[in-house]
Amino acid sequence: MGFGKYVGARVLWAVVVSLIITTITFLLLAAAPNPAIREAATQAALQGGDPSAAVERERELRGLNQPLYVRYADFIRSVYTLDWGWSESRSQPVTEALLQALYYTAQYSIPWTVLTITVGPLVGVYSAANMYSWRDHVATGFAFFGYAIPNFFFGIILLLIFGVWFEVVPISYDTSVPVFSVQNVRQLILPVFVLVTGSIGATMRVSRNESAEFQNSEFMKTAKAKGVSPLRSYAYHVMRPTLVPLSTTLVGQLLALFIGSSLLVEVVFGIPGLGRLTFNALLSQDTNLVLGSTLVFTFIAVVGNLLEDLVFTVLDPRINYDDR
Amino acid sequence: MASKKPEQFDRVDWSELSESSRFDLSINSIGMLAATLPLALLWLYDYQFVGERGATFQAIGLGRNLDPLDYFFVFTLFLFFFYLVLPLYQNPRMTRYYWAEFRRNRPAVVSLGWLGVVFVGGLLGPLVISAPEQSILTGHQPPMFLSINEANVATCVGDVVNGQCQGTWQHPLGTTRGGKDVFAGVVYGMTISMQIAFITTTIVAAIGITFGTVSAYAGGWVDEIMMRFVDVILSFPTFLMFLLILYIYGAGLGMFILVFSAFAWGGTARYVRSKSLSVSEEEFIKATRISGASTYRVVRKHVVPNVASSIITQLTLLIPGFLLAEAQLAFLGIGDSAVPSWGQLLSAGRSDLAFAPWIVLSPGIVLFLTILAFNFIGDALLDALNPEAEAESA
Amino acid sequence: MVRRHNNGDNDGRRLGRRQWLSMLGIGGATALAGCSGNGGDGGNGTDGGTDSGDGTDSGTDSGTDTSTYATAAAASFTTLNPIYNDENGAGNAIARALDQGYTFDEDNEYVPLLYDMSTEDGEVWTFEVREGLEFSDPYGAVTASDFVYLIQEIHQGGWASSVSATYWTGVEVEQTGEYEFQATLGNSQLLWPESYEPLLYPIPRDLLQPYVEAEDAEGLRQDEALLELRFSGNLGPYVLDEWQRDGGTQYSRNDDYYLRDAADLPDVFDEAPYFESAEIQVLGEQASRLGALETGEVDSAAIPPERVQEYQNNEEIEVNQIPQPYNEKLSVNMRDNGWTTGPGNLFRHKSFRQAMAAAIDKQSLIQGVFRDFAETHFTWQPRFSNFYPPEENIPEFGVGDRYGSEFARGLAEDAFEQSEHDYGFDGETMVGPDGNQVRLSLYHSAGQETEQLMGEFIAQELGNNLGIAVSLEAIDSTRFNTEYYTTTEFPTPERNEGGEVVSVPDELVDTVNGAEVEWTSPTATNPGPRNITGNEDWDMEIVYGLNTFPRNPLTNAVFFDGPTGSYNPVGYYPEFDAQGLFDDARQATSEEELADALVDLFVNIAEEQPYIMLAFPDSTVGYREGLEGPIENFSNGWNLPAWRYE
Repeated sequence: MGFGKYVGARVLWAVVVSLIITTITFLLLAAAPNPAIREAATQAALQGGDPSAAVERERELRGLNQPLYVRYADFIRSVYTLDWGWSESRSQPVTEALLQALYYTAQYSIPWTVLTITVGPLVGVYSAANMYSWRDHVATGFAFFGYAIPNFFFGIILLLIFGVWFEVVPISYDTSVPVFSVQNVRQLILPVFVLVTGSIGATMRVSRNESAEFQNSEFMKTAKAKGVSPLRSYAYHVMRPTLVPLSTTLVGQLLALFIGSSLLVEVVFGIPGLGRLTFNALLSQDTNLVLGSTLVFTFIAVVGNLLEDLVFTVLDPRINYDDR
Repeated sequence: MASKKPEQFDRVDWSELSESSRFDLSINSIGMLAATLPLALLWLYDYQFVGERGATFQAIGLGRNLDPLDYFFVFTLFLFFFYLVLPLYQNPRMTRYYWAEFRRNRPAVVSLGWLGVVFVGGLLGPLVISAPEQSILTGHQPPMFLSINEANVATCVGDVVNGQCQGTWQHPLGTTRGGKDVFAGVVYGMTISMQIAFITTTIVAAIGITFGTVSAYAGGWVDEIMMRFVDVILSFPTFLMFLLILYIYGAGLGMFILVFSAFAWGGTARYVRSKSLSVSEEEFIKATRISGASTYRVVRKHVVPNVASSIITQLTLLIPGFLLAEAQLAFLGIGDSAVPSWGQLLSAGRSDLAFAPWIVLSPGIVLFLTILAFNFIGDALLDALNPEAEAESA
Repeated sequence: MVRRHNNGDNDGRRLGRRQWLSMLGIGGATALAGCSGNGGDGGNGTDGGTDSGDGTDSGTDSGTDTSTYATAAAASFTTLNPIYNDENGAGNAIARALDQGYTFDEDNEYVPLLYDMSTEDGEVWTFEVREGLEFSDPYGAVTASDFVYLIQEIHQGGWASSVSATYWTGVEVEQTGEYEFQATLGNSQLLWPESYEPLLYPIPRDLLQPYVEAEDAEGLRQDEALLELRFSGNLGPYVLDEWQRDGGTQYSRNDDYYLRDAADLPDVFDEAPYFESAEIQVLGEQASRLGALETGEVDSAAIPPERVQEYQNNEEIEVNQIPQPYNEKLSVNMRDNGWTTGPGNLFRHKSFRQAMAAAIDKQSLIQGVFRDFAETHFTWQPRFSNFYPPEENIPEFGVGDRYGSEFARGLAEDAFEQSEHDYGFDGETMVGPDGNQVRLSLYHSAGQETEQLMGEFIAQELGNNLGIAVSLEAIDSTRFNTEYYTTTEFPTPERNEGGEVVSVPDELVDTVNGAEVEWTSPTATNPGPRNITGNEDWDMEIVYGLNTFPRNPLTNAVFFDGPTGSYNPVGYYPEFDAQGLFDDARQATSEEELADALVDLFVNIAEEQPYIMLAFPDSTVGYREGLEGPIENFSNGWNLPAWRYE
């Protein structure tokens, strides 16, 4: 199997996986009672009408009287045509709501991701180069601390210290400040810091352990003997092979954090991003919006896994496409 | 004394050599059965004869009721004892070796000590300390050595000095808004955390190992399908799905454990599969096969023991994730509020953070230390079980 | 606490219709504490001026910057479409830009805004629309025809499902002049305006017409002009500039505000509003709202009871304590899916309900949970109501002599005697016919801390004083509502073409106090006699707090107007002639007659304890020092446009 073919198969598989997950979400929601129908019945009863007739009318209006497979086909079609419906809890189209939320999520997750994938491996390699020195211990200790402290707990504590006691950062998130402004940096610095400390630990540990193996290897000794500068030799001979195993854990780790923690961090810091959007949609039983945000999260997870695999194969030429 | 030595040196386990039936039972399994049987009987008694709302031990005058989760927890404790602790005792030489390796990692030893405290506290604490009880008039009491503005408490248990209510030994870690003792809450939270840790790992290990070995040995298209299934499981947004299920059908701690462990075994299965594939290539397995061992026997006697240590390491690193997820759900206010977990305490103190930070800090720090301890131990196990890496970095 | 708002707003309170909202009001106490003083001036009508339910807090930027009137809401708004809004928070957001028909001032007097209402007999009401009201271009002047069209085509049209639809069923509306129309009720209602039912938003006829012709409810719901209040003209103190779904709303001053020229209002309105701009920020965390108040970012925020004293000592902040009509009560399920512990539902016995009321120490509850910022609740009216019965006439359960184990047990023994089944006390424990302890479940909404505290306290008290084992269950309030509390699966009576009931199925007939009663119009909240129930069993709940309607207590007919009242999820059958008393009150031609009938009614309710009544939590609101306008009264906020800094 050639590389192109492998990528093709992998992409196809990603589509299948997202389809499966969406289907499960659809079935879960289809099995749940629809609040809108209930409301129609209550309304009818209050006005002295016939609730069961009202329920029928509402079901017909929402296409719920059709058999499940027809609704499913409709649903899949609207998923791919981006016709995701109207969000009842926000009075705007679902896609618009998702885009707005994504705008806020991106503002903290882009710096977070960039910092994690640059700082993590660098500190890891540095730590390995200075193994068992006090610098290594500080770095490792920090990694463990960040990894183990629950993000939301850490966020609360930092907010208490810097927001309430020292008043150096605002305690509420202001959506009206421009993206590239000092205020925005000030209000985002804590969430980004909390998320980075949470994710950096894993990448740092992996890169430290991996690079520890490589820096004692024969090719490093050769490089040293040849008089290659330490910087160059680390960059070429330690960093690169380290990135291979790292890439496999990195994306998964980031995604897990993204889906789990982004909600908590957004709740703690009051950022109206994707996590909170989903959570609020669930609370208010806004079916369309719940489906929409599940789709987005699934999409991100599947694409992330896909990228992980592809990067893996690109970075490590030894990998056989047949074996996964 | 002297007579024992040669026995140990050259012990041949004849029962193992002579056994040919697959229904042979080791001392561990016999112990396991002997312990599980009364448990099952107790459950049967509870289920059949004690009314749904009656306490399990009411016949002998104990108020403590056991729910299904408790039974499962005790069951996993038995498993843990007979298949992890007892084998370590049975193989003192290996145990000594592991311990020597493990002991070199000081943080891990401290961590083990901490987990020991959590474990014993979780098992025995509820028997010694009474459950945190509400007492709304003594809410927001400060911890020992700290004080709080008198305006923030309804009544002060300790002394009032300069308008500041002082902490007392009656509530060493203070109380929540409802007057529940934070220390008792932390101890009861240990039980919950231990339940989550033991039950989820048991389920994950059971599904993961079965799935992985079956997949590896079936091979062909069965293997392909099973591994694709694992892909799906791995890309499932579990947290999100749990929220969905919670909101549509409602869910308690049992459902939480079920859902989270049902979506967490993907990694284990993948790992076990690749390990079994590589182990089955080893010469000694081939030798066993040639001498007529069945697949079941190969898997049970050789593959599982050979991958067991790595699985244990992996599971150790999974547990913090579960504890964290529970705390997160509780923090969002959608956990099972009847369960006195650390997360519930955290969420109870959230709005009082500015003037009563101990309600959040105590369980938060305990949770943090526990997660840290699991990580340290997982790391140390990795090192201890992987002598190559150790030799290189030493 | 904060989540309580969110939850409350998103599910507990949104039972769908505003009428339910106004009754269920709050998810419980903290939502109340979260309400604050600014806002209502009929922002959402039904709740009376003060409550802004989801914790909408008002304030301006610091003491010196008095140009912006900034407020903070705990939860974002579902919709700003006036026809479909059923939330208090969004009601406040709409009220900044769009006035409603009328309001009540601090003396509870009717204040005409868009229209004046008058009546001779309480049956025919004349609405006089104020002249000089203008919509934005191109909709022109506001006339009686806009209101009549709104009522007839939208509220009474049957297709639009507007939130006010139920208020206008059976009301005949007729335009009698360019600025005048008449409404004829089926019976006399002297306190009709006080029920907030005839409260209308001005909506341009031309805007509605296309939707009316197509009967397009979805289009109407999603109309952008309605969602962004683009037609508001001179009809509100501010003009809505932007609605950011997560951030909140921004307004700028409306220089043409019609009340500036109104001669019938205090002079202070001549310059109103006094701020250049207004803002409502969505701040989800309570800590954020309090922090913003402290730093002066906003200068009004709801203050939780345990911190009121602290803020009272703060010089920059003034705390208002505002009594509220929303109660905290314990519902006991008298339907067949209640009393799950054994046979013979004891909740159905009056003396058992009294025993429960006597077993719960109201003073400790108020002191411990509400830190003294609440009133004891003995009958279905708050103390400040004009219809509160004389103290000596009502039994005050749960305080003094009427609280305690012995007294409660005595009442419970009475109930045991009346019961066909063999209940009794075994030492301290209450036991059923099978000899087991009586075990009951108590539901509260998940994540609502105050409710959980209350629930634990109630469980303790019932355990200590009555020997009942109570298990506390947390539940999502929407789920509780749909699966436990209410049901939509009930039999319906047959109707002829005119909509009159022809025959009633047997399931909808029950014998109450010896007389046969038919449920001719079952609803989700009273689906029929006690044999018709929700899907799941439940014994007791504190998920919902209810409104007690002190301005127009007749509205309480929905709860207590005989066993068939439209809101009766607990299956309460009055043992006194409630319907008779309500009829007396309805036919009253003078305030005195009305008061007599109502006082009698509330004495009986105090005796019967249809719900175990516990407390009326106050709303405690902090304002920045120097803000003129807030009053410690239920009408707080009626004159919001006139609020200012000196």
